Amino acid sequence: MADHEKLVVMVTHGPEDPELATIPFAMAGAAVASDVDVVMGFQGEGCELVKKGVAETIHADEFAPLGELLETIKEMGGQLLVCSPCIKKRHLTEDDLVDGAEIVAAGRFVAEVTDATNSLVY
Amino acid sequence: MSQTEIETAVVLDARGLLCPMPIVKTAKAMKELEPGQVLKVTATDRGSLADIPAWAKSTGNELLEQHEEGDTFVFFLRKGEEVQ
Repeated sequence: MADHEKLVVMVTHGPEDPELATIPFAMAGAAVASDVDVVMGFQGEGCELVKKGVAETIHADEFAPLGELLETIKEMGGQLLVCSPCIKKRHLTEDDLVDGAEIVAAGRFVAEVTDATNSLVY
Repeated sequence: MSQTEIETAVVLDARGLLCPMPIVKTAKAMKELEPGQVLKVTATDRGSLADIPAWAKSTGNELLEQHEEGDTFVFFLRKGEEVQ
């Protein structure tokens, strides 16, 4: 079984590119469905995707809706980590983010990546 | 083994779902089954053709049979003995 494996998925595209915003969620969704632990990391424009109310507005052709993927990933135990300086730059606080999103800095991302079986960067 | 010989515990209709929801729904449905029981999945997403067999392999479940009925892909999956 693969329940000891862990995948880190870094997201750097936001609503400006619905397809590249959605692909990391599709990969993370497939991973949680496959009993792989998932950590999603949001940096740069990717942070926009975990602002409350944004994910529900994105639906790339031929992919499941991003809002549905986000809910699935949260429900199946995926973690959502958001880059602290990126959030500050956008004048956001934790209250602006979806429930469960955690604001972290570079050290935590490094710790997650070095602990993971593999990492994907989008 | 033909379809009629497979005793199915649950049928999951994943037709119309897009990547990666067929395997997400399959994973959720399988959690409700006991080891040895069989889940039948129907899907229309062409990605399912590769996804369902890969999912079964990585999660320790057994793909008993797959075939196509028109535009629908049909899979029979037996829950592995050591799968939670």
